[in-house]
Amino acid sequence: MELAAGIFANVLILSAMYILVALGFALLFSIAGILHVSHGAIYTVSGYICWQLATTAGINQWLALLLTVLIVGAFGLFLEKFCFRPFTGDFDRSLVVGIGIILILQTTIVVTVGQESRSMSPFVAGILHSDFVSISLERIVTFAMGAAMLGVLVWFINKTKPGLQMRAMSQDLQGAIMQGINVNRTSAIAIVIACASAAVAGCLMGAYISLSPFMGDVVLGKALILVILGGMGSMTGIFYAGLLLGALDATLPIFFSGSVAEVIAMSAIIIVLLFRPTGFLGREIS
Amino acid sequence: MKWKLPYLSNKGKIAKPSIWVAILIILAVLPLFIKSPYLIHIINMTFIYILVTVSFRTILTSGQLPLAHAGFMGIGAYVSAIAAKTFGVSPWLSIPLGALVAMGVGILIGYPFARLRAVYYAMISLFFGMLIISGVKAFAKWTGGAAGLTGIPPLFGFNKVPYYYFFLGLTAVSLLILYRLESSRPGLNWKAIAQSYMVAASVGINEARYRIIASAIGCLFAGIAGATYAHYSTVVGPTSFSFMATIMLLIYVVVGGVGNFTGPIIGIFLLMTVPELLRGFREYVPYISAAIVLIVVFLMPKGVTGLVKSFLSWLAELWKSRRTNDAP
Repeated sequence: MELAAGIFANVLILSAMYILVALGFALLFSIAGILHVSHGAIYTVSGYICWQLATTAGINQWLALLLTVLIVGAFGLFLEKFCFRPFTGDFDRSLVVGIGIILILQTTIVVTVGQESRSMSPFVAGILHSDFVSISLERIVTFAMGAAMLGVLVWFINKTKPGLQMRAMSQDLQGAIMQGINVNRTSAIAIVIACASAAVAGCLMGAYISLSPFMGDVVLGKALILVILGGMGSMTGIFYAGLLLGALDATLPIFFSGSVAEVIAMSAIIIVLLFRPTGFLGREIS
Repeated sequence: MKWKLPYLSNKGKIAKPSIWVAILIILAVLPLFIKSPYLIHIINMTFIYILVTVSFRTILTSGQLPLAHAGFMGIGAYVSAIAAKTFGVSPWLSIPLGALVAMGVGILIGYPFARLRAVYYAMISLFFGMLIISGVKAFAKWTGGAAGLTGIPPLFGFNKVPYYYFFLGLTAVSLLILYRLESSRPGLNWKAIAQSYMVAASVGINEARYRIIASAIGCLFAGIAGATYAHYSTVVGPTSFSFMATIMLLIYVVVGGVGNFTGPIIGIFLLMTVPELLRGFREYVPYISAAIVLIVVFLMPKGVTGLVKSFLSWLAELWKSRRTNDAP
């Protein structure tokens, strides 16, 4: 029972975090046409910023989280304006710019903080006891934050005017321009949202697991898998794929050693993609 | 009598080979003047990576983005290393074996992957690269796992100079083969497929077949480079063949210029050799690489070779206009 509850909590947390990062990644890919490889680095950097603000500057950690989201969102705005907008529609060059950003961010972390991993104090301490199971409050809060953030994102994309504009852009860019949608402003909003959700995920996961300069690489891989497996341009697909991947990641290591589990997961993904290249719910894009 | 700049003239096709022969001769006598083994080591690594990156570009010319390419280098390296270390095969036999296994895997995955194009091909090959790395980590009994495989028998002992000539010859011959291939029938077919697979198919080019040929050749040379690298450094680890390693190959190509055969070579020189020479403050080296990458991407849309090319044609234009102005 205890083990099952632990696994279940891990499945939910990992899924929520993967979906949070992947949703922003997918948003950028389908709206701005950017394969945003520096998304993982932004996730990492936000964890470090939050940790630095909380320890060095001595700010309350929740306030630090909020500040981090603001800082990283502003950084996203800078990225859109100066790094990605000049290369709209140029896949290779925007990819290379992203790699330049990764190099700068990762090196800055290594130079200022160091290569070794750091542990961040949890956002809430304590354990919740009930009749059946006892589960740490941190897990509950991490999941609740992730789920709330996801809820806000889905609401934003589905119900608000900028969200509508984003969906229009992802369906047909030329058509969106002809309807008078300000494409640049909409992609700026999208990148701020994407960076902010990556920042939330980075801070929460930094506290939940630990901080290391290269933790973003793994998450970037997961985000790619989610976006491809769920199908480009489909939000529901990302949720399904996220739940599946979270479940695989949380349960397979119990039965196999870590890398064997990875081999199985990767083979399964490749086989799925061979038969259904557009993912679960995706549509063909050229 | 008309005098022309030799490099710029259309008929000056003899000029290009002579430049390459001159570079080859300079490189051949270079070890007589360089006494530092560390410098020789850097040049050796440059040779290996030139081979990998040029073969990466060969696949790229066929319109496929092979994001598993460093993984194929890894296949060559590990197969050759395990054959030589565990089974006692001579490195001279295990290097071709590793290269052929890499090529075989490239052909095998080429068949199913030929169904996918553009982004979908890039993504599935990315996942295949991740599969190779996790496979290396999973079979730790053979491959040494994440810690890497040590004690691989070296090709020539520990003096770097024989390796230098070996890599020089290997790279020169391989580059010649790849260059001839690119300007021959298969190469033209690859370019046609990359521009429009439908038009290519309509003029009778078997798209799947030529794409598989491209990835087979690319993987063969990646395997050769990986296998020789294993027997040169005697230590291999999975991080040299990871997704980020492939991304670095892509950067070398884009910085040098995708459209030109010499692009990858210049990219390697700028981004690998120059930062390596500035090793004094090695923590900050990625900043230099990032600066070079960003400068090139922002200021030179077609890479360094593109800039050089347009500069040369501008020069030729200037030369021509001056001559016509001078004429009475």
